[in-house]
Amino acid sequence: MKTKKSLLVLLSMIFALSLFLVACGGEDTATDTQDESSTPSDNNDGDTTEEATPGEPQYGGDLVLGTSGEPVIFNANYHQDSASADITDLVFAGLMQSNENLEVVPNMAVDQPEISEDGLEWTYTLREGILFHDGEEVTAEDVVFTYEIFLHEDYTGPRAGSFTALEKVEALNDYEIKFTLNEPDARFATLMSYGILPYHILGDIPIADLEDYREFNIENPIGSGPFVFESWTPGQNIKLTAFEDYFDGRPYVDTVTFRIASDANALVLLLETGDIDHMIAPTTELATIETYDHVNLSNVLALRYDYIGWNLDRPLFEDVRVRQALTMAIDRQEIVETVMEGNAEVAHAPVSPLSWAYNDNVPTFDYDPEGAVALLEEAGWTPGDDGILQKDGERLSFTILSNSGNVVRRDIGIITQQYLGQIGVEVKAEQMEWGAFLDQINPPNFDFDAIVMAWGLALDPDPSAIWHSKEIENGLNRSAYRNDRVDEIADANTKILDQAERAAALAEVWEILAEEQPYTYLFYPEQFVAMSKDVHGFTHHPRVDMYKVHEWWLDR
Amino acid sequence: MTTYIIRRLIMMIPILFGISVISFAIMYAAPGKPTVMDLDPDISVEAREAQMERLGLNDPPHIQYINWMSNVVKGDFGTSFTKKQPVRDMIADRLPNTLILMIFSTILAVIIAIPFGVLSATKQYSKLDYGVTITSFLGLATPNFWLGLMLIMLFSVQLGWTPVGGVSTLGGEFNLLDRLHHLILPAIVLATADMAGLTRYTRSSMLEVINQDYIRTARAKGFREKTVIYKHGLRNALIPIITIFGLMLPTFIGGSVIVEQLFSWPGIGHLFISATFERDYPVIMAITMFGAVLTVIGNLIADILYAVLDPRIEY
Repeated sequence: MKTKKSLLVLLSMIFALSLFLVACGGEDTATDTQDESSTPSDNNDGDTTEEATPGEPQYGGDLVLGTSGEPVIFNANYHQDSASADITDLVFAGLMQSNENLEVVPNMAVDQPEISEDGLEWTYTLREGILFHDGEEVTAEDVVFTYEIFLHEDYTGPRAGSFTALEKVEALNDYEIKFTLNEPDARFATLMSYGILPYHILGDIPIADLEDYREFNIENPIGSGPFVFESWTPGQNIKLTAFEDYFDGRPYVDTVTFRIASDANALVLLLETGDIDHMIAPTTELATIETYDHVNLSNVLALRYDYIGWNLDRPLFEDVRVRQALTMAIDRQEIVETVMEGNAEVAHAPVSPLSWAYNDNVPTFDYDPEGAVALLEEAGWTPGDDGILQKDGERLSFTILSNSGNVVRRDIGIITQQYLGQIGVEVKAEQMEWGAFLDQINPPNFDFDAIVMAWGLALDPDPSAIWHSKEIENGLNRSAYRNDRVDEIADANTKILDQAERAAALAEVWEILAEEQPYTYLFYPEQFVAMSKDVHGFTHHPRVDMYKVHEWWLDR
Repeated sequence: MTTYIIRRLIMMIPILFGISVISFAIMYAAPGKPTVMDLDPDISVEAREAQMERLGLNDPPHIQYINWMSNVVKGDFGTSFTKKQPVRDMIADRLPNTLILMIFSTILAVIIAIPFGVLSATKQYSKLDYGVTITSFLGLATPNFWLGLMLIMLFSVQLGWTPVGGVSTLGGEFNLLDRLHHLILPAIVLATADMAGLTRYTRSSMLEVINQDYIRTARAKGFREKTVIYKHGLRNALIPIITIFGLMLPTFIGGSVIVEQLFSWPGIGHLFISATFERDYPVIMAITMFGAVLTVIGNLIADILYAVLDPRIEY
């Protein structure tokens, strides 16, 4: 039996590797990598898995985490990649954090903020006695310093756009910080989890030079998080040790080491031999990992959806009936069952069930090939001599593009080709190298008919970045979707502070987007973490991989 | 000789310049841009634009090339777009790992290939010769990655004799045995192709030599067969082999790309792969130029060695 499994592993690896030279890390890279922010929530239907913890937590042990990403910078004000975020989540702590139900809860702050009547003044109170790794106390001055960086005209990082509503930030005393906004911004609460930087170390560095200040950002980052940074050997490992004075209690494990390997294949081998205790498990590796007796798999719905995007600038996809018919012709439940092996839920709108803004009362277009044919006929498409649907001499024929190396998207492309072929639509399924693919589908090229892609969602459900028509020319609205009502609500939604009211406004956006089908929403995938059975106390957060690591403990 | 070397060194300048222009042009023409690689709905278009501007990516290609070249002449290879570190440091961090792997695998290849090549030639058309020949062709035909995977599955996963990857055990201090333990599998995989080629070269070179008149003369003088083969034969047969080493120098980078990826070996090849996928222009250019310099120098060394070893050749 063992040999058979190994043979399977081997064969799949040989296959994966033969794709390797044309493959790339495109699997999840199109998703946003900001994982520091969080959003208030009153709707906990996230199926978070908490592992059963037999016995009492015990101190000690070295936790080894497998990763294939090389970090860039250990400073949350600047990083843009998840490998860096994993480290800053351990070394630094923010005022607030998002919990596993995606609610914003206090971290270094005592409680939720006091918000003035007009929604323009937010006052946070810091817990007393929290220490940085060098023994200095965290005070309001450090918080003010951290957030003033975003506002500074010399700030070189990528996040200035998130703070356009912030007018100023000031310390009222050693522990109270007041943020003053120039207009109400419902997203603001989700910005309070950036790791607080030590003013006493960085205060003298000009903001323009801060991003390049390697002595702190790379060699010796100092925060108030549960783990102290020890060393980084590029391409090999990153070492952290427990912070004895962590305000939420000393971590159970003594050290955390990130072991860097080239790719998921290498990580799976390291997991099998017990060299690593933990890895994010790609869906394609699950069958292999399930055969390991010493490993547990944990799953939770990811804050993300996969879709087929139609290019609405192409005449073929102008008619909403055509897009609806294409969706109806594709059996998405079947895709979930086969390609995703059941590890996903069929999606109907571009909002995650995990979000408080989720609306399940949207128009749905379930699998109905006859209905699809009828709808296409209504839109003027009738079978031509070659069996392909035609209208005014134009054949219903197009190319569906995805990035090479991503087996799931390749399979979705091929299955779509078959489903649509059955109703007389000619589809070519093609793949391109990730960088070339992005270049082709993004502005200014926009050269595609249809793409298979995914969006990883931010904690705040604001639809502007992807659906507002002002984002067509140079932004991420690459389907070129235009709808005045959506624009209007998108513009207004961030100014509605009451969450229920805002959810109601956004519900209309999801309804419109579900009805108009600029995308065929495929599914909400689950994400998996593979962990040694020795690891206990793990909480699976849908967005933050390094969540509450100070509560993990080892039984060995 | 000295003037010859100086002339060759001077000629390297236009050659390297030409290589840099062509590499830059090809890299630039390839689809994909550095800053769109990491799309984040939370990062505004303005911030992305500002980043393009800071990296100089909005300049026309020839200006970018000139800027790059003028820094390189000053010894500055720039800063990685994605890793934000000086390219020189990134390469310096990884070069020793690649060199260790290369030197070790080359030694391995030589100590196995040359004796077998000689045996194969002296016992031409014997069972041993056929065995060595078939094995060499198998070695040449086996893809690196496949062999590597097989060895990992067998020795690391099934038998647990060797580590799955990396250069050393986590957390340990420097330990020579531990290093060798990590080195052995990747070195074997990397050595296989070289080994097979070298065996074939040695065999044919040796065959050519032992059919020469002076070998017959040596035998006629009554020397022992061992002396004839190793003292008179091998010394001369090795001349072309040694020059091959000069030509092998640039494969230091190329050959290691796949093996380093397979064994998570943090070397130049590993760096090159990720830089290519991320369109990290400064890193790509630096490694390409490094490879070009090695190629040119390797050729020069081959030519010089040839003259040194073979008194009949003069420049």
